[in-house]
Amino acid sequence: MGPAPTITIHVPGPLRTYCAGAAQLSISAHTVRAALEDLQLSQSALYRNVCDETGTVRRHLNVFVNSDNVRDLNGVDTTLAPGDVVTILPAVSGG
Amino acid sequence: MADRIILTIGTKKGVFVADAAKPRRSFALRGPFGPGIPVYSTLIDTRGTPRLYASSCNPFFGMKVLRSTDMGKSFTETKSAPAFPKDDGRALVNIWGLEAGGDKKDLWCGVEPASLFRSLDGGDSWDLVAGISNHDHARKWQPGNGGLCMHTIIRDGNRVHLGISTGGHYLSEDGGETFRASNQGVGAGFAPDPYPEFGQCVHKIARHDDAPGRLYMQNHGGWADWTGPGGPRPDIGVLRSDDYGHSWRSIAKGLPSDFGFPIVVHPHDADTVYVMPLEPATRSCPDGAPAVWRSENGGESWSRLARGLPRKQSYFTVLRDAMDIDRLKSPALYFGTTTGQLWIGREGGEQWDCLFDSLPQIYNVKVAVV
Repeated sequence: MGPAPTITIHVPGPLRTYCAGAAQLSISAHTVRAALEDLQLSQSALYRNVCDETGTVRRHLNVFVNSDNVRDLNGVDTTLAPGDVVTILPAVSGG
Repeated sequence: MADRIILTIGTKKGVFVADAAKPRRSFALRGPFGPGIPVYSTLIDTRGTPRLYASSCNPFFGMKVLRSTDMGKSFTETKSAPAFPKDDGRALVNIWGLEAGGDKKDLWCGVEPASLFRSLDGGDSWDLVAGISNHDHARKWQPGNGGLCMHTIIRDGNRVHLGISTGGHYLSEDGGETFRASNQGVGAGFAPDPYPEFGQCVHKIARHDDAPGRLYMQNHGGWADWTGPGGPRPDIGVLRSDDYGHSWRSIAKGLPSDFGFPIVVHPHDADTVYVMPLEPATRSCPDGAPAVWRSENGGESWSRLARGLPRKQSYFTVLRDAMDIDRLKSPALYFGTTTGQLWIGREGGEQWDCLFDSLPQIYNVKVAVV
């Protein structure tokens, strides 16, 4: 496996307070899981808002790679390519 | 500074703080803090410089504990919130109970799924209390309608009483190291065995310092007409213990319903206790006419307190932690409704007035004189 691709994590507004106001974070990771593990180390407060204590992405959050929900790809094992944008969004529903 | 009455009001959309001078003529409202996020538990910690605490359980981004050191003018997150160890397999869903412990910074916290946490630094770090959280029964408890929650924490010296829905009443007599189910006389309506060892849907427990050994319980009643296995089980909803919670007996006779959520004891008279009977189907007061019921003899008889409350067409629910009483000489009761009204019952509930009528759904009301 080659060097991990550099990707961008887009941080939703309500969570920016947990990463010094950053709207985007640039990290290197082969998969979404690796990206989350990177967040756990580098942005632990942000990570706790995204994943519960079992390491699972919180139930009412959706994670997208570019425009695709990882639920429709390979979950947190979805592989990442250079330049991908990972977006974390609350799963808003209702009328 | 003159005494002030301070209220914390936990709602579906954050926590509000209201305060008033001693006559309680009018309350000023601040908030919401943690806006938009449900607050099921608050604590007004009057040990030393007053501190206010509120849970803030965001369904999207997880659990927080908020703390105010300026009497509710502002709140900030504590450094961490309760969390299960990673290898435990459980994840926090909600925070249902915040209570003061022994030392100034000692806090206890009941959560969903039913477990107990303790902080020794005012809420900045939390440890699981294994004696109950990993109890042999813990994986057998079932969620009630509100979830599997540990909502009541009562400390009495080395005794710790816990109320779990649905788990029942658990008692520690060694300061919280070990716990055992203590439900003799506590009925369950949703199991073939009307008096199981554990698994009761306890709604709230209350006690008074002046009556050692006595406890009052609002249990999940409303099972008088059950015709299935185990037969009817009337009057299991309102109970009393006189032996530190080892056994319980019904005091529900005379109430219009034995179903309800909160139970509150008068601050100066351990024989005076308040409940709000609800119809189990609608979880609103009988005939749509809200009333608090008071016993002044430890549950032997009850009287209805409704002066000033709506007389009809009122179908709100008052949830388990949404009623409290202050400690002034002539105390006032307070309750918050699922339709967003906050009521005050002056003179021990003799006269009711609506303080605020358009708050979000109210989960929690606490009052203190500071």
